Amino acid sequence: MPPPRAAARDRVSCRRQDGQGKEHFRSSFVPDPAVTEMDWSGWALFGLLATAVLTVVMISAQMAGWTRLDLPLVLGTFLTPDPDRARVAGFFIHLVAGQVFALGYAAAFALLGAATWWAGALLGLLHVAVALTVILPLLPGVHPRMASTRAGPANRAVLEPPGLLGLNYGIQTPAITIIAHVVYGAVLGMLLRTT
Amino acid sequence: MTGRHRHETFEKESAESLPNGTGAWHDSCIADYGLVGDTRTAALVSARGSVDWLCAPAFDGQPVFGALLGGSRAGSFLVGPSVQTQVSTRKYRHHSATLETVWSAGASQLILHDAMIAEVAGKLLPTTLLIRRLSARGSPFPAVINFDPRLGEQHRRPHIRRGVGLVCDWGPLALSLGCSEELNVEPGRPTYVTVHPGSPLTLVMAIAYGEPLIHVDPSTAWALVEADEARWQAWTEDSDEEIPFREAVLRSLLTLQLLTYSPSGAPVAAPTTSLPEDPGGIRNWDYRYAWPRDASIGVGAFLNVGKTPEARKFFGWMLHASRLERPRLPALLTLAGGHVPAERRLPDWPGFAGSTPVRTGNGAAGQHQLDGYGWVLDAAWVLVRSGHRLYSETWRAMRGFADQVAARWQEPDAGIWEIRDDAAHHVHSKMMGWLALDRALRIGRTHHLRTTQRDRWQQAQRDLAAEIRSKGFNTDKNTYTRTYGSSDLDAAILLLPVTDFEDPCSDRVKGTVDAVSQELSAGFPFLYRYPPGKDGLPGTEGAFLPCSFWLVQALALTGRRQEASQLFEALLQNANPLGLYSEEIDPATGTFLGNFPQALTHASLVQAALALRDPDKIPGDLPSPS
Repeated sequence: MPPPRAAARDRVSCRRQDGQGKEHFRSSFVPDPAVTEMDWSGWALFGLLATAVLTVVMISAQMAGWTRLDLPLVLGTFLTPDPDRARVAGFFIHLVAGQVFALGYAAAFALLGAATWWAGALLGLLHVAVALTVILPLLPGVHPRMASTRAGPANRAVLEPPGLLGLNYGIQTPAITIIAHVVYGAVLGMLLRTT
Repeated sequence: MTGRHRHETFEKESAESLPNGTGAWHDSCIADYGLVGDTRTAALVSARGSVDWLCAPAFDGQPVFGALLGGSRAGSFLVGPSVQTQVSTRKYRHHSATLETVWSAGASQLILHDAMIAEVAGKLLPTTLLIRRLSARGSPFPAVINFDPRLGEQHRRPHIRRGVGLVCDWGPLALSLGCSEELNVEPGRPTYVTVHPGSPLTLVMAIAYGEPLIHVDPSTAWALVEADEARWQAWTEDSDEEIPFREAVLRSLLTLQLLTYSPSGAPVAAPTTSLPEDPGGIRNWDYRYAWPRDASIGVGAFLNVGKTPEARKFFGWMLHASRLERPRLPALLTLAGGHVPAERRLPDWPGFAGSTPVRTGNGAAGQHQLDGYGWVLDAAWVLVRSGHRLYSETWRAMRGFADQVAARWQEPDAGIWEIRDDAAHHVHSKMMGWLALDRALRIGRTHHLRTTQRDRWQQAQRDLAAEIRSKGFNTDKNTYTRTYGSSDLDAAILLLPVTDFEDPCSDRVKGTVDAVSQELSAGFPFLYRYPPGKDGLPGTEGAFLPCSFWLVQALALTGRRQEASQLFEALLQNANPLGLYSEEIDPATGTFLGNFPQALTHASLVQAALALRDPDKIPGDLPSPS
């Protein structure tokens, strides 16, 4: 009889053995809250990695002139108007935010009882849909340095409002953002394990 | 009869047959219009009280009132006397954006106030709110209201419903009209009222795009106008008190503010498209976009009158908007910093004074214009000279622009006038390229700059200067020319004394200023921008107003201050009664031509006044590093 942790690990990795000792991968999600747990160490490591990948995709797209959406700048200007300092601060805020979101992904995988790259990608799609249609349009309401479409001449905000789907930051912004988040989710789905 | 306002609706009357001739939109000239705006969009109101142009939800949106270019089918919003009555006065209320039009008949007067509310952030107010208030003095005055909104290219009629007021709906765009008295206003049909002294009639039009309409009680709307007026007055009174011709300058600054799209800080060249430079001709362009050149001029104009936040806002927009194409600087951008839509003609639009085609989009967006880099780097230098340090990201962008100039200065370009003919070696463009490198090198003295980059810029600057002096100067005429080897002149060269390219007191500069002011004169005080008709397009055009203000600046900076003042005063006489200018003017008749009101003209007016104030301060006050 395997020790309890090893048995749990087998369940986590969605594998089971039939009567002949042959190993089968689970073909569908069967939530089993009694046996699935969060992959805490994976979350700590792979959350950072996935956020780094997302950042690379976004910054590469920005450098290629495909979008003006600069997440570290947008986040960092919550704290300072200096774009250079803001980028540094925003990068760390972004890492923390990435970790928080990764926690959500890990919890979702634990609930689903499995983690695969395509499940992560689907969660990424859900994540980016909320980001583009809810978070970005709401941002001018809370960001101290972002104008809104109702801004008047007294407005001293420095950042332009992103608009619906972030289109004000370039017509390719939604596509780039979707790709980055799908990659983020896929990386987490590929690397996280439910334990 | 409802309340004190009698009103009737005439079922069969159309706008064309109104008793005061208000359907004849085309009998208005451009100078008859006044601007009201909220810094997100703007309306043009004719002297008859008709809003003939208003785009929603922003300056570059679709027109909901487009009669200015599309005739009565394109919609308008008339509020004025019901019988033909002469306007007795038309003005803005003191240092504000509230337009006041007064019609007089005998001892009685009808007064119309038009205003849009600029500051709506943080309040439960619609993004766009137009308030029109009619009042009478003396005795009761008969008036007419004709509210006829139509949307866009196809003049689409709205779905109409009645709730708190009249609601006109086109899907995401909705527009409501409320009135302080119970009036049965039917879109497209005139409603007649009698306005009694002491009992003003207020109409409130709200616009919503992609959000619920917010109704504003017409009986309290005037308080919003007063608050807005107080804010504009505080803003203008906060300006430098030493500015010569202060009232004209303040009106220009206020106009520049009204033409700034507040959500992004983009300076809109003009709120209109296709007002003709040549009545009946084809020179009709869409100016509802933002030119980095205009933003740069605005930086200097605002900074030098003590309006630092506005200057930084223009600069901030430029940096943000130009990001997608950096290090290339686009000639123009949308208000959100995107690519300007391809140029397109609107079929079946009759145009202003029969000037077709009516265009949307602007084909100049893809042009290479070397001068743009000079304007932008000069604006950065103006900021640095005023004690502001550039963020390293900003300086990085500026270095990229300077590198671009160093790499591309030998190429022909479309020039400041966006000539649609073949590209050429425009002397003004080359000078502005030189200026870009000069300003970058100046900034580099206090900001980090690699030696190799500095050497590259210095080498390019030396080569440019040598080429301009050898190929761009006509020794027979003792003047710099329009293009290399040409004997034609270009009024843009009047910016020469601003650039430090030559000593402002040198013979070459004086010769150029004299030659341009004589050869391109369209009759005092006007100048053509280049020899009329020499741009590859059929037809001709009027005198270009910014050039006359540049001549004021050039005269002031070359020690001819008295001439400059006389010229400036003469130009001020040619504003419309509201102190507004279009892009061009017919030198023979004084008729305004081109898009209206035009930001470049007003920014040039401010710069000219500042040159009169500080004839020694405008060029760089540090010696050139080259």
